[in-house]
Amino acid sequence: MLKNYFRVALRNFWRNKVFSAINILGLAIGISSALVIYLIVQYDLSFDKFHKDGDRIYRVVTDIKFAGEPFYNSGVTDPFAVAARKEISGIELCSNFYTADDIKVVIPNSTSEKQGIFRKQKNVTYADEYYFKLFPFYKWIAGNTQDPLKAPYQTVITESRARTYFPGLDPKAVIGKQIIYDDSLKTSVSAVIRDPEEITDFTFREFISMATMDANHMHNEEWGSVTSSNQFFVKLAPNQSIAKLNSELSALLKKNNKNEQTSSTNYMIEQLQPLSDIHFNDHYDNFGQRLAQKNTLWGLSLVAGFLLLLGCINFINLTTAQASQRAKEIGVRKTMGSTQKQLVFQFLSETLFTTLIAAFVSAIITPWLLQIFSDFIPAGLHFDLLNQPQLILFMIALVLVVTLLSGFYPAMILSGFRPVLVLKNQAFGGTAKTRRTWIRKTLTVSQFVIAQFLIMATLAVTKQIHFTLSKDLGFKKDAIITMRIPWNNRKPDPNRDVLLNEINKMPEVQLASLAEPPASTNTSSRTIKYKDGKKEIETDVQLKYGDTNYLSLYRLKLLAGRNIQESDSEREYIINETYAKILGFNNPEDAIGKMVGEDKKIPIVGVVSNFHQSSLHTPIKPLAICSAKNNTYSISVALKSSNGDSKNWQNAFAKMGVVYKRLYPEEDFKYDFFDESIAKFYKSEQDISRLLKWATGLAIFISCLGLLGLVIYTTNLRMKEISVRKVLGASVRNLITLLSTDFIRLVIISFFVATPIAWWSMNKWLQNYAYRTELSWWLFPLSGFIIILIALLTLSIQTFRAAVANPTKALRSE
Amino acid sequence: MLEFKGISKWYNVGGNKTYILNNVDLIIREGEFVSIMGPSGSGKSTLLHIMGMLDEPSEGYHYFMGQAVHLLKEKQRSQLYKQHIGFVFQAYHLIDELTVYENIETPLIYQNVKTSERKAMVADILDRFQMVGKKDLFPTQLSGGQQQLVGIARALIASPRLLLADEPTGNLNSKQGEEIMEIFKKLNNEGVTIIQVTHSEKNAGYGSRVINLLDGRIS
Repeated sequence: MLKNYFRVALRNFWRNKVFSAINILGLAIGISSALVIYLIVQYDLSFDKFHKDGDRIYRVVTDIKFAGEPFYNSGVTDPFAVAARKEISGIELCSNFYTADDIKVVIPNSTSEKQGIFRKQKNVTYADEYYFKLFPFYKWIAGNTQDPLKAPYQTVITESRARTYFPGLDPKAVIGKQIIYDDSLKTSVSAVIRDPEEITDFTFREFISMATMDANHMHNEEWGSVTSSNQFFVKLAPNQSIAKLNSELSALLKKNNKNEQTSSTNYMIEQLQPLSDIHFNDHYDNFGQRLAQKNTLWGLSLVAGFLLLLGCINFINLTTAQASQRAKEIGVRKTMGSTQKQLVFQFLSETLFTTLIAAFVSAIITPWLLQIFSDFIPAGLHFDLLNQPQLILFMIALVLVVTLLSGFYPAMILSGFRPVLVLKNQAFGGTAKTRRTWIRKTLTVSQFVIAQFLIMATLAVTKQIHFTLSKDLGFKKDAIITMRIPWNNRKPDPNRDVLLNEINKMPEVQLASLAEPPASTNTSSRTIKYKDGKKEIETDVQLKYGDTNYLSLYRLKLLAGRNIQESDSEREYIINETYAKILGFNNPEDAIGKMVGEDKKIPIVGVVSNFHQSSLHTPIKPLAICSAKNNTYSISVALKSSNGDSKNWQNAFAKMGVVYKRLYPEEDFKYDFFDESIAKFYKSEQDISRLLKWATGLAIFISCLGLLGLVIYTTNLRMKEISVRKVLGASVRNLITLLSTDFIRLVIISFFVATPIAWWSMNKWLQNYAYRTELSWWLFPLSGFIIILIALLTLSIQTFRAAVANPTKALRSE
Repeated sequence: MLEFKGISKWYNVGGNKTYILNNVDLIIREGEFVSIMGPSGSGKSTLLHIMGMLDEPSEGYHYFMGQAVHLLKEKQRSQLYKQHIGFVFQAYHLIDELTVYENIETPLIYQNVKTSERKAMVADILDRFQMVGKKDLFPTQLSGGQQQLVGIARALIASPRLLLADEPTGNLNSKQGEEIMEIFKKLNNEGVTIIQVTHSEKNAGYGSRVINLLDGRIS
């Protein structure tokens, strides 16, 4: 029987090529986007899911409140781990490791290309001996598998690192080889492990024994200073109360951190962060790996759902619209003894057939889609149907769901026809059968509501991005490049002054200045106290280090006082308006000469007008600019206008490169355009916008396909009417209007439904920004206009053809 | 074999009952060849549809092969006509997407006949109607007479006891019509009860009895 059904399905499929193509295209787009998004979501959700007893593994993180301002740190204070191991009960196993990025590696007597010198190696960590016990998923290849990190100067490396450092050597031969870190730590390889293949944020490739740090007194014994480099993971004994442990851990910190005075606005507590939270919680970093946002994942899933739904709606609309063509077959089958159930089954298997083809098409186009979104998609993500059984299961489930969703309603309608009505010779199949068109209309309206909503959202997001990128941030941002110079413990670094001088002398350069960090980059901050007679004002103040050129380079406006003077360490501050107001000086002049700070009083010498020292997500915060050459390893250079000739600038960059290389032969000369760096703040918005544009395009495309299908169908039905009207003298324009009006009405209804939804949700989205564009009223009519125009164009493909057709043709056949 | 008692069918048009069939009584015995005649709109087709259980009467008693059809549920009714009744239509009503072979096979599928048996039965009937060479053609590739032959073959494939024909020759020329009537005659002689709706006195002449219908009543 199934064979029979499929045979009919196939023949029907060929007979209605246009409708079949529309159905398949719509469904294939929906299925492909569902696949891509499933891959993304599935990938992000599977991070670190494989750990043994993973539900009992937590990271201890530190939450801080400084002057009422919350800070979150993924690490603990240095002595904390050791103390917690001794004093806290309920911990079954714990491990402390210290991430060390950009470390220099030297392999003595190396024959490799780079002569054994590797600068800025990533994925290196100092780990204690418990690390491999807490995370036993690593597979050992060679060496000491029991306690490879117990003794000082031991290193465990992965296979890939072994190949890089000791090319051509067997892993066994690598054991005992020397690796020197940061020119001073001479370690030897104690074990080689396989590179983990699991999806994990633990991407370390080199583990130096923590004992090495101990032996070299590299620890910061202070209890009050926390760094995210110092990671502490614990595995709890079964059935522990998280709340109780949180308070015990915090109490341990408080007991030892004696210097700190705590209050409701000033405290530091420890929290247990579940392992499963690490990949998602943006309060805490995950060893510099990419964080996924659950909201984004939800949004993506929603978009996929929308596109899938649009494809299903097309199918439902076209199938029910064509129902009368199938009516005869249904009537005959029923008189031949088919039950309604059998017919439902038949139509569902036809739908299944279509969906299967669509699934096949999407399996082909998905890799191409992944390519398009490659910079949006995590690097470790693959599409390989043959080796991803889970993916195949998902596709099967998807096909079944889509089949039911799009096939059930038409199947019920079709199989419900009464044979007698159908078989009463030919009377059927006309325009009279309008009983169920309202459902079709509703579905079409909902399609266009989705499409309209997406257009409006895209317009709003684009407008906000434009707003953020073109907003006057309070400083100059174009024709400025930034570069870093290496951190150097020889203070002050004479080379830096030489570099700065030489750059300043170049004819293409307007001005160069020390700037740590540049005007608009996340800044370090510090609590600064100010005693105003009796009242003490404690503020979290952002700090920027510059030199005398800083203000003029970034064209910051000095409201009062004078510029800073050059100095090796903090001597005087220029503060921004916000900070001046917090300190109680409504008139900038009043702030001049006031002293802030506790141990070391520092005078305020100037006040600058506010500028956005960070992205527009955050409001302008209190800020102080000072000159402290010892803390400054970044240079900003303002270039002279190139007058459209980029050669000048290229010239300058080349010269800077030469000077830089001469002064810092071990470093590579790299520079960034400042305005591009600012644009990068909004990468996630740019990504969302790009994704939205695609989703919108696809949604419009699918909806218009559906519209086209419906208009083809109705014009075919009304061909006789059109011909008669034409014979009676209707113009082509009359006819096109006649045929389009019904559909355009639906699109207009959808506009009125979509507008409030879009207005509400876009307003909500804009709340994320401290500085946001307005949702102008014209946004909505504009999107309505766009969609109506597109709909009209789509309709005209068919209506025009119908309107200019020779009327005698249709009339003769009657 | 078939008995109608007080069968009526009406529609409500603007609050008034419009009768299609009005209090029809009739008995048809096994082996009869009955022709229903009457002008357009006299209710012939409706009567035939009710006999075939494709339509339900508004009131009345309906017995078929000893069963009270008016008391049966939809499912049982469909079971009954599926087994015992074959239909032939004026417009043939073949499924355009199926070949001759598949069209004839369809009723067997719905009666859950096994594939091998189906093959044998269809081959048999194709042979009987001399259409073996046309079995892979689609209905649109056949002439009207040939299509109607397929329609009859399809109606007979499950060996029904009763054959209902709604103007079977209405779309055919006279020669083709005669052929069809000859086939009916032969079938009747083999024991199949036949009820046909027809306009043609000549066709009615092939039958054993004529029922005249006028404005929904037997006259």
